[in-house]
Amino acid sequence: MTDEPSSRLPELAVDTIAALATAPGLSAIALVRMSGPEAFRVLRALTPDQDDPAPRTAALRSITKGEGGDLLDRALVTAFPRPDSYTGEDMVEISCHGGWLVPRLILDACLAMGARLAEPGEFTRRAVLHGKMDLVQAEAVLDLIEGRSKAQHDAALFQVERGLSRRIAELREQLVTVEAYLAHHIDFPEEDEGPVTVDRVVDAAAGLREALEQLLETAPEGELLREGAVTVLAGPPNSGKSSLYNALLGEERAIVTDVPGTTRDALESVISIGGFPFRLVDTAGLRDSDDRVEELGIEVARRYLDRADLVLFCVESPGDLGSAEREFLAGLADVPTILLRTKVDLAPGDRASEDPQDGDRASLANVREIVDVSVVDGTGLGRLQAILPELVYGGLVRTGASVPALTRARQSEAVRKARDQVVAFMEALDEETPVAVASALLRPAETALEELLGVISTDEILDRVFREFCIGK
Amino acid sequence: MTASLMNSDRTYDVIVVGGGHAGSEAAAAAARIGARTLLITPDLARVGQMSCNPAIGGIAKGVVAREVDALGGIMGRATDAARIQFRMLNRSKGPAVWSPRAQCDRELYPIGVRKGLDEVPGLHLCEDMVTGLLMEEGRAAGVRAGAGEFRARAVVVTAGTFLRGRIHIGGDASVGAGRVGEAPSIELAEELEARGLEIARFKTGTPPRIDGRSVDFTRTERQDGDPLDFRFSSYVRENIPAQRPCWITWTGAGLREVVERNLHRSALFGGEISGRGPRYCPSIEDKIIRFPDAPRHQVFLEPEGLETTELYVNGLSTSLPADVQVEFLHTIPGLEHVEVTRVGYAIEYDYFPPHQLRHTLEVRAFPGLYFAGQINGTTGYEEAAGQGLMAGANAALRVLGRAPFVLERDEAYIGVLIDDLITKGTDEPYRLFTSRAEFRLLLRQDNTSRRLGPRAREIGLLTEMQSEALGTLEEREARVRRWFVETMIQPADVNPLLQECGSSAIRQSVRASQLLKRPEVPASGLANAGGAKFHPATDADALAAVEIEIKYEGYVRREAERAKNLRKQAEFELPQELPYEELLSLSFEAREKLARVRPSSLAQAGRIPGVSPADLQSLILEVRRWRRNPPMTAAAKK
Ligand SMILES: Cc1cc2nc3c(=O)[nH]c(=O)nc-3n(C[C@H](O)[C@H](O)[C@H](O)COP(=O)(O)OP(=O)(O)OC[C@H]3O[C@@H](n4cnc5c(N)ncnc54)[C@H](O)[C@@H]3O)c2cc1C
Ligand SMILES: Nc1nc2c(ncn2[C@@H]2O[C@H](COP(=O)(O)OP(=O)(O)OP(=O)(O)O)[C@@H](O)[C@H]2O)c(=O)[nH]1
Ligand SMILES: [Mg+2]
Repeated sequence: MTDEPSSRLPELAVDTIAALATAPGLSAIALVRMSGPEAFRVLRALTPDQDDPAPRTAALRSITKGEGGDLLDRALVTAFPRPDSYTGEDMVEISCHGGWLVPRLILDACLAMGARLAEPGEFTRRAVLHGKMDLVQAEAVLDLIEGRSKAQHDAALFQVERGLSRRIAELREQLVTVEAYLAHHIDFPEEDEGPVTVDRVVDAAAGLREALEQLLETAPEGELLREGAVTVLAGPPNSGKSSLYNALLGEERAIVTDVPGTTRDALESVISIGGFPFRLVDTAGLRDSDDRVEELGIEVARRYLDRADLVLFCVESPGDLGSAEREFLAGLADVPTILLRTKVDLAPGDRASEDPQDGDRASLANVREIVDVSVVDGTGLGRLQAILPELVYGGLVRTGASVPALTRARQSEAVRKARDQVVAFMEALDEETPVAVASALLRPAETALEELLGVISTDEILDRVFREFCIGK
Repeated sequence: MTASLMNSDRTYDVIVVGGGHAGSEAAAAAARIGARTLLITPDLARVGQMSCNPAIGGIAKGVVAREVDALGGIMGRATDAARIQFRMLNRSKGPAVWSPRAQCDRELYPIGVRKGLDEVPGLHLCEDMVTGLLMEEGRAAGVRAGAGEFRARAVVVTAGTFLRGRIHIGGDASVGAGRVGEAPSIELAEELEARGLEIARFKTGTPPRIDGRSVDFTRTERQDGDPLDFRFSSYVRENIPAQRPCWITWTGAGLREVVERNLHRSALFGGEISGRGPRYCPSIEDKIIRFPDAPRHQVFLEPEGLETTELYVNGLSTSLPADVQVEFLHTIPGLEHVEVTRVGYAIEYDYFPPHQLRHTLEVRAFPGLYFAGQINGTTGYEEAAGQGLMAGANAALRVLGRAPFVLERDEAYIGVLIDDLITKGTDEPYRLFTSRAEFRLLLRQDNTSRRLGPRAREIGLLTEMQSEALGTLEEREARVRRWFVETMIQPADVNPLLQECGSSAIRQSVRASQLLKRPEVPASGLANAGGAKFHPATDADALAAVEIEIKYEGYVRREAERAKNLRKQAEFELPQELPYEELLSLSFEAREKLARVRPSSLAQAGRIPGVSPADLQSLILEVRRWRRNPPMTAAAKK
């Protein structure tokens, strides 16, 4: 590392950041990471009188508090000279013993030698700044770290490998093609092949709109994939909601008693069902109550219902749906709902006859499935677990999660903006707005996709024209 | 004008080297602003000569010709006085992209240019070849020419295709020349290179000319001009000469066979020429090779003038030898027995990659030295004229100690052109297209005098006469606009027109501007129906402007807003001395590109290929940091 670039640029153009890359707490090993022009100097200060490690090769070193300082640990040290590092800057990774103390001491020593504590996400941010990855990839890295289900993991990994970025880049290409046709139409009216007809422009725009629509359709599922689908257990008191909650979680989290009104505050857990993430919420049983605390709990339940992606409505079997329940179900408007008839172990018999009559269907319009369940003998639980992913993530269940999907509002906003502009462009042409005027609508679409990826357009439009057409009067 | 040799001390404010399209506008602009100006060119009889096709205008270029005129320049008037065929291109695509194009008489055009020069007081002409520059303390101080030295505080070089120009006719014959029959400029090129300027090479070509008397026109298609009383000039109404048609024919398999068989004899494909040529103006050799599936290529036979039977064979630029040119021409319908009057040729020349310039077209390394025209890597008369005018104006403003004059991208195609040159550079000869402009709805041919006239007047680029004409124009425009906004039209008057346009009839009187919003209803028709007394010729611009601004109000407004946002970014200035190499938070590519271009604003930085939005973000941070602490960085650098 004698000839490493940072030594030739002594002044601090950017500062050097350091952070503990593994979670603090008891663990066998931990990783302290540094990035920036001073990273190698700081490492040298912590390993006085020892050789610089060869690039990208782990070496065992004694880490001290600096010249003549106390020994802190014997640790594996790896140096990554820029630009071939995660951030694109000089980077150092120190794999030390884990636990509460050692990593903390080493990090403090780094800070004492001139590094600064990194802000959350700053390493990845620097990677983006140095063009090591685009914004969509960076977001996927965060998803990968935070992922709690197989499907989310698949989707994030796919995006880290530029899956979504590539799709967006393709869409942008398609847009550039439309603009190239327009450019040919406007800028080369007298060329050999005759001007590109407006029909050809419209066809290309229609194809683009279709492709944007398709990607946009992945947004609802994609965004749920990151957040987990909010799945609310609701129903009258004592109908077995908390019991189901525990059964689906596989642990006794909620208190269960035979006293109606047991659950007060809502409980929430993220679980993976069939590889897909759900935020399962247990709520207080719904009824008119004089109890102030219970009343508040019901209030919380209602708020959860407002933002539910899915409702599991529990009623005791074989008890009939009362008018209060029907009214409630009708009030859920278009939230998909599964009607669960609980405790079926207590009421064996013929169920077909108990299915709601046709006359009742109106109030049950949003009920997608009716499932009989029992937490005692396990009836219906397997079926429920099969239905849930299908109902929320139907598209991804069929294709698998390794497809380009929009997983953040930022992404779907940009794609929606692009789609809206393309639609406006086509409508304008339809109303016989001259192409040159209507074409003004496409630039913002391009900007939207470019901002999404973090690229900037060049003279690609003309390049394309010259490649595809014989120009030259 | 009196020859400069009469001026005993031989000292001027501004010297312009070269009397082509850039040089003429530069000299006239500098002198109009009030600088004592000398134009030096080797042959005064060839001032304003059209080296290639005698045509001005076309897509985007036509708007530039009108912008030059709006800024008080010569090109518009000279074109009006010389045009022998006129067409408004893109008429079907809406007024936003109407593009005027004029075929000119090759003899009349330079006469118009010379007249424009002679009318400017304070402008001196001199016939000589410049061989070197005088420099003092790194600043331009004058020029060295055959007849001795001339001194000035600013020098504008506009040497066109002459710098180490080399002409190729077929693979074997190659001669040093700036144009056929004219000596190249070698010493000047060598000296500029020796002074450390980066230099590169481009090529371009021109097709053969033929004798119209040997053409069988029955085998071609006649193309008449548009019978419009159109003028490029907003301020002066020149008399328009008699009009002539063009003729269209096609190449076929016969030509392909001849070209393919002789390809090895082409200078372009035999390897004799190293410079890059324009993709949009390819030679016929290029077209045959790059588009093997195209069965035929269009050929335009364009008149070279009123008094000559010579025709320009547009579409067949070539560097094949003379005998091959004759042979392939004879394969073309109508040209079976054609006689060639001048053979086509290719030319290679030096240019200076334009990232070395400021937006004023001043060479960054040498204050007081300006470059304009083809030597900046562009091609085309209009591109040259636009740059020439800006360089001449800025040279004069500098000498007079006044603020520079820069046009932004949302103000003029000239602004787009210069900014593209400096920011993006050129790897092929640069010409304008509407798709290079992000605000083409604002940069129209109908509003050039409104866009640029007032600024030109303020700077002193307009003569008194032009300034007066601008005033009249502004009044008339306001009147047209007011008429549309205020006039109520009666159903009986307008319904026949509406029916004719396929628009629904009205039952009560409606405001003219309201009806104009209907895409299918034309402004001129409404004016007639409503009894307005607009002059079809002098108010044509106003009508077109009102039409697009009222009809597509939403679009124009949005575009104006986008332009405003860009301006805001442009307000974030980047210090010229920023040490880009050391800004490690920027990507390597961005550092390199930024150091090369040294943009003056964040917006300009954003237009440099290879600089990403992320780079821009970091750049903002770096500039803030640097502003807080510039001396330390500067000191550390030493
Ligand atoms: C063969 C050929 C083919 C072309 N083909 C095309 C085409 O297909 N499409 C297109 O758009 N454009 C074409 N052009 C380009 C067009 O002619 C130019 O873009 C335009 O003329 C450039 O204007 P200018 O003022 O920069 O240079 P020019 O018009 O070339 O004027 C340069 C002037 O400088 C003078 N000069 C040169 N050196 C000196 C010196 N040392 N001292 C004093 N005076 C000097 C010359 O005598 C000349 O008057 C072609 C040009 C040529 C020569
Ligand atoms: N036999 C049988 N009993 C059940 C089943 N599910 C729940 N129970 C019983 O029903 C009673 C109420 O169950 P909870 O899960 O607390 O009901 P809840 O809907 O959460 O009640 P609240 O929180 O009071 O609204 C308890 O005594 C459970 O043991 C079931 O599947 N079979
Ligand atoms: Mg409960």
